[in-house]
Order: sequence, then structure tokens, then C-alpha cells
Amino acid sequence: MAAAAATAATKGNGGGGGRAGAGEAGGARKKKGPGPLATAYLVIYNVVMTAGWLVIAVGLVRAYLAKGSYHSLYYSIEKPLKFFQTGALLEILHCAVGIVPSSVVLTSFQVMSRVFLIWAVTHSVKEVQSEDSVLLFVIAWTITEIIRYSFYTFSLLNHLPYLIKWARYTLFIVLYPMGVSGELLTIYAALPFVRQAGLYSISLPNKYNFSFDYYAFLILIMISYIPSPHHPFPFS
Amino acid sequence: MKHYEVEILDAKTREKLCFLDKVEPHATIAEIKNLFTKTQGKSLKDEDVLQKLPVGTTATLYFRDLGAQISWVTVFLTEYAGPLFIYLLFYFRVPFIYGHKYDFTSSRHTVVHLACICHSFHYIKRLLETLFVHRFSHGTMPLRNIFKNCTYYWGFAAWMAYYINHPLYTPPTYGAQQVKLALAIFVICQLGNFSIHMALRDLRPAGSKTRKIPYPTKNPFTWLFLLVSCPNYTYEVGSWIGFAIMTQCLPVALFSLVGFTQMTIWAKGKHRSYLKEFRDYPPLRMPIIPFLL
Repeated sequence: MAAAAATAATKGNGGGGGRAGAGEAGGARKKKGPGPLATAYLVIYNVVMTAGWLVIAVGLVRAYLAKGSYHSLYYSIEKPLKFFQTGALLEILHCAVGIVPSSVVLTSFQVMSRVFLIWAVTHSVKEVQSEDSVLLFVIAWTITEIIRYSFYTFSLLNHLPYLIKWARYTLFIVLYPMGVSGELLTIYAALPFVRQAGLYSISLPNKYNFSFDYYAFLILIMISYIPSPHHPFPFS
Repeated sequence: MKHYEVEILDAKTREKLCFLDKVEPHATIAEIKNLFTKTQGKSLKDEDVLQKLPVGTTATLYFRDLGAQISWVTVFLTEYAGPLFIYLLFYFRVPFIYGHKYDFTSSRHTVVHLACICHSFHYIKRLLETLFVHRFSHGTMPLRNIFKNCTYYWGFAAWMAYYINHPLYTPPTYGAQQVKLALAIFVICQLGNFSIHMALRDLRPAGSKTRKIPYPTKNPFTWLFLLVSCPNYTYEVGSWIGFAIMTQCLPVALFSLVGFTQMTIWAKGKHRSYLKEFRDYPPLRMPIIPFLL
């Protein structure tokens, strides 16, 4: 039942706060962008990231040509992949500080899920590193990130070529399912090895009276990929 | 004396922001700015009288639909009854939680029985306080809060209770000494928390919504008011730390940490509004932890 109220404050973080002030200020307040120093920093950041993912792309192509097959290419780009994907954690900071107008929660979610896949799955379970599913998500991420970071670079400089904008919103249709498939297949491939080694798991009895089953946790992660109204696919 | 009517518009949107009539001709721009800001943003209370509002003869009230609401009492009762009941399900080892050979068995550790008593006491106390002690300044909160709050309380209760009542539970490393110390902390903090609730209740007469600065009373537990604005939260955190030490259970420690974080946010907010409302607010006081936070 709708409540018409002139009172507001709710316990903790309540939504829908009602405010009836006599003569409340109206009109849209213009959103102020980052200052010149922040813009310069962000341009450098985005250029560096674009370059980093280009390095990964080139590395993949060279490795493919050298080997003659597309299997086990992960090893040739392992280090720059880890470096640049982990570096994206800075983007959470950018939102928190306010120089980027995105939600901290949403950005954290997206970056953390990538970092999780790189470190807690691919790096941690050596047996999956030779899986083709790894190549699937690495390619998807590489193309997506090159486009995304150049998009941001150009936007900051107020000169966004239509091609980049088009690429970002169109290629996603292929790249997103590609990435999700690669990620899910990789996690799935890791499961038996996690079970076997008891990786990152602790069982009872122990003096902290705590238990954690990484295998079950990974299954929950896989389930969380199912899109719902509560978290439609992350897209920034 | 001829009065002026002053209309204030937004420079960019030309929207009418405020209309002040009966402005004295010798009023300065600063005074007009003052009159204007007083009408901004602060939400009105049910008790406010129209005549006393700083508006002209035409008062514009902005109305916003708060959405579906639920009473605070209902939310509190539901969110506290859950943990009380859920913990007991684990304590009595109701079927399908642990292996079938453990159904309805009882733990051989004294501390497990003690923990059940403490946990149950804690929530019974909260339920009784909700019914008989607390005086709420707001009647309702958004409906979705009940789902959020119950998930939090019920979820954590189940998680803690699962381990404490588990057949493979490991009692505290330092044995009876640890349990005794933890129990003392728990009891003292529960008494403290209750004392503060009573003191806050006595500050406010029945049915009123007046706000006053809380001060220490004859009850020594309330002397914490000398050092913090929200000693009820301080004691609450203390109770859970006591319970964590008593059970030596990591999920309890995590629950205490999350609770502490939330209560600190609330305490800081409360502290800030005390400072804003009362000029003579005691400067020594911190929001929740004496001298620190």
C-alpha cells in the first residue's frame, strides 16, 4: 500500500526516501565530469590498458603462427594477461574516488569476476591451462577490452569515432556469449581437480569451527551466471 | 511598512524554487538567502505547524510516494524471532541437517548448551524490548527492508548455529577459562545494552517523539554515555565478541564484524545528527568506540 508521507529517514539504507520541503529546489543539476588532472590520468590509464591488451592480442597471433596450432596458447600470454587484467582493479578505485561516474558495486562485481577467473581458477588449477576453453575467453576478453579501453580514451578526448562505438555495441553480441562459454567451460573443467586436491577447502573438525568447500562454491559461481532481473548481464 | 514578494528562480532552468512574501524591505540578500535555504531539503515532520514554516502565504509542499511500508515493530519481531527459532533447530539436531545418526542427539560439550542459552536469551531480550521498551520515532520503513533484514539475521543465525551445534564441533582452545571470561563479557554487555535501552526510553515520554541528549544515570552501565553517543551499539558489539570467544567459531566472529560495521555507520549518523541538533553536545563523546571511532 502506497504511503504518502512527509517524513523520510528509514533504518539504515532505505530507498524511496520521501522529502516534502516547502519549495524544494528543482531542475536538473549538471553532472560535473573529472577535472583536467583526472582526465589526463584517465587518458593515460586507458591508453596503457589498450596497449596492454594489444600486446596480448599480438602475443596470441604470434604464438599461433609459431606453433601452427591454437592449443595451449595460454602460456605465451600468461604474464601480460595476469598483469593487465589485475590492473583493472584500479577501475574500482576510479569509481570510488568519483573520477568515473560508474557504480562502485557494479564495477567491483565485474572486475572481481575476471580476476577470480584468472587467479582462483586458471592460475590455481594448472590442469585447465591447456584447455581450449581458456583460449575462448581470452580471445573474447582481448577483443572486448581493446575496444572498450579505446572507447573510453576517445570519449575522454571528446572525439569518439563511430566505428569504435559501433564495434562496442555490436561485437558484444558475439563476444559476450563467447566469453561466458569459455569461462563456464573452464570452471567446469577445473572441478574434478579441485575435488581431488581439496583446493582452498577446509573441513571439520578444526579449531575455528568453520568449513568451506571450494568445489561447491565453484558450482554456485556457475549457477550465478544465469541472468536474472536482479543481475542482468554486466555490461559497461 | 510595505513588504516585498520575492520569487527565486533557478538561473538555468528558470524553475520556480521559492516564493517568499512578506519580506522586509531592509532585508539583506544574506537574510533572503537564509530564508531560502531554510526551506530547502529538510523533510517536514507530522507535528510541524503550517504557520510556523518559513514560507509565504502560498506554501508549496513537495510530496513523494515512499512506496509500500511496513511497521518497525513488525520488522523487528520477524527478524528476531527467526534466529531464536532457527538456532534451536540446529541445537536439537532436527533431521536432515547433520547425518541421520545424529538426529535429535545432544552435544557432549557444556559450552554448546551454554551458547544456546546465551543466543536464545539474546533474542528473547530483543523481542521483549521491541514489545515493551523501545519508543520508535518513525512508524514505518520500506517493505523491502524486511526481506533484506531477515535474510541477514536468519542467514547468519543458521550459519553460526550449524557449526556450534555440529557433531564435530571443537570446544575453545583454552577450555573453561576461556568460556568463563567470554560469558562474563557477554553478560556484562547484555546488561549494559539493556540499561542503555531503558535510559533512552526514559528520555522520551510515552507517545512523544521528542529528542534529548542522553546523559549517564545512577546505573553504572550508563556511564559509557560519557564517552560515546551510542553505548547500546558498543555493548551490542561487545556481546557478540563475547559470544565469538565463547564458541571460538569463525562465522560468529564474521557476524560480529559485519554487525560492527553496520552499527558504526548508524552510530556515526546518530552522532552527527546529535551534533547538528544540540549546540551544547558533549565534545568528549565519540560515536561508538571511546576515543577511537
